[in-house]
Amino acid sequence: MIEALHFAFVQHAIIAGVLVSLAAGIIGSLIVVNRMVFLAGGIAHASYGGIGMAVFFGLPIFFGASVFAMFAALLVATLTLHKRHRIDTFIGLIWAVGMAIGVVFTDLTPGYNVDLMSYLFGSILAVSTTDLYFMGALLTLIVLVVFFWYRPILAVSYDSEYAKLRGIPVRFFYTLILVLSALTVVIAIKVVGLILVIAMLTIPVYIAEKLSGSLWQMMLYSGAFATLFTLTGLWFSYTYNLTSGASIILVSAAGLGLFLLVKRGR
Amino acid sequence: MAVIEIENLFFAYDEDIILENINLKVEPLDFLAIIGPNGGGKSTLLKLILGLLKPTKGTVRVFGEPPSKQLPHIGYVPQNTNVNTDFPIKVIEVVLIGHVGGKKPLFGYGKDEIAYAMGALAQVDMEAYAHSRIGDLSGGQRQRVMIARALCAHPKILILDEPTSSIDIKGQKEIYALLKTLNKTITVIVVSHDISVILEYANKAAHVNKRLVFHDISDKHRTFHTHGNEEHFCEVELLQMLGAENCETCTSDTTPAVRKEKP
Repeated sequence: MIEALHFAFVQHAIIAGVLVSLAAGIIGSLIVVNRMVFLAGGIAHASYGGIGMAVFFGLPIFFGASVFAMFAALLVATLTLHKRHRIDTFIGLIWAVGMAIGVVFTDLTPGYNVDLMSYLFGSILAVSTTDLYFMGALLTLIVLVVFFWYRPILAVSYDSEYAKLRGIPVRFFYTLILVLSALTVVIAIKVVGLILVIAMLTIPVYIAEKLSGSLWQMMLYSGAFATLFTLTGLWFSYTYNLTSGASIILVSAAGLGLFLLVKRGR
Repeated sequence: MAVIEIENLFFAYDEDIILENINLKVEPLDFLAIIGPNGGGKSTLLKLILGLLKPTKGTVRVFGEPPSKQLPHIGYVPQNTNVNTDFPIKVIEVVLIGHVGGKKPLFGYGKDEIAYAMGALAQVDMEAYAHSRIGDLSGGQRQRVMIARALCAHPKILILDEPTSSIDIKGQKEIYALLKTLNKTITVIVVSHDISVILEYANKAAHVNKRLVFHDISDKHRTFHTHGNEEHFCEVELLQMLGAENCETCTSDTTPAVRKEKP
């Protein structure tokens, strides 16, 4: 394993794993406390539409997926604010239509045999330097937003009606959380793939929630657990030649099982 | 000036009329009980007073202005405080959400803000729990914290929606006793199902069932039939009486709930 660290692609995978885990820990906490897990799932799958279009028009994949995911997030935000009672239907719609657009556009791309599996289950061993910059920039943005707007974000997440009565722009923060979730989902696709991204955003958060007395603690613990699971999963993936995304998720699930056992034992 | 003044207010969701020709005036330091059947429009009326809903017709004025301009002076305690109990948040942080105004530090909380929040917690006798997780408290304790959150803003009006719906009898009495104390300096409006309890503390009552019937109940002995038991009101009879726009037992047109004195 040690000699593997000399390979650039392994170094990239480790750095990407840490960056994405920390972002997923922070944003996953916000997604869980705001009960947006299904929304994030819808956005994750819809972003495949962006991947397909990027392939067709010859644009960078990250760019296409980000723009498309952000568009889906804004759509979801608008629908939630105006048609709250039908939101599950709309999410299902965005979820399926986004994926369908992606598949059709890759079909239409001449001579391009896209590796669908790498987007569904991640391709952490193929992270480029540009990808790393994008991940680093997003993590920095998330940390800054949460640092300076911690109080309004906490107020909106805990009790949005009350936050509104206190004059906090609830819509703005709700949309902001969704947009950051969309971008996090896009970078997490590289690591675990769009099918498994929901597990990465929720399993570490679930454990952290039980251990934390406040939201920022939950974010820190989530980030730490996500990093631990990702790196352990990567090691399994490399050693036993398994799909990295699936290994990471199974390690996370095992971690959760272990946590629940220990918790019950006490 | 009246604290709250509602004139000819109508409210409808689409074609469904919820409130019809509501007129209400709340004076400083009133303790107003809003009662009435489920679906009668009580919570809708509160949301209109808070400015969360806009009237279809008519006006709501708080200190002579639209509610949105007076939000810092309104303390609000929502109906269900048992939601989001998994949320990792400390009692003191919940109370601090209520704090408005003043200079806020770049991040974290200012010393003066924490002092305000602790003061509000002391008012409801909960300062010992400042660093507990909100989900670890009982329903009654959580209700007190929500009152502290409302008090943290130093409101002139305190509005509570069903504050005792999830609390046992002892806890209910304690909450009402607390409201009675707060009422010395703050106007209190309570929506409640516990009619017999709330009417012991309130000096005004509004029965809302699409229409609003207003009663001055400052003089309890004159107002209610008590079956010889001064501590207990018969709830069914009370509701009927307070809901009736014209009551046979009444002497006066303006306060229909006042009982006719036996000759």
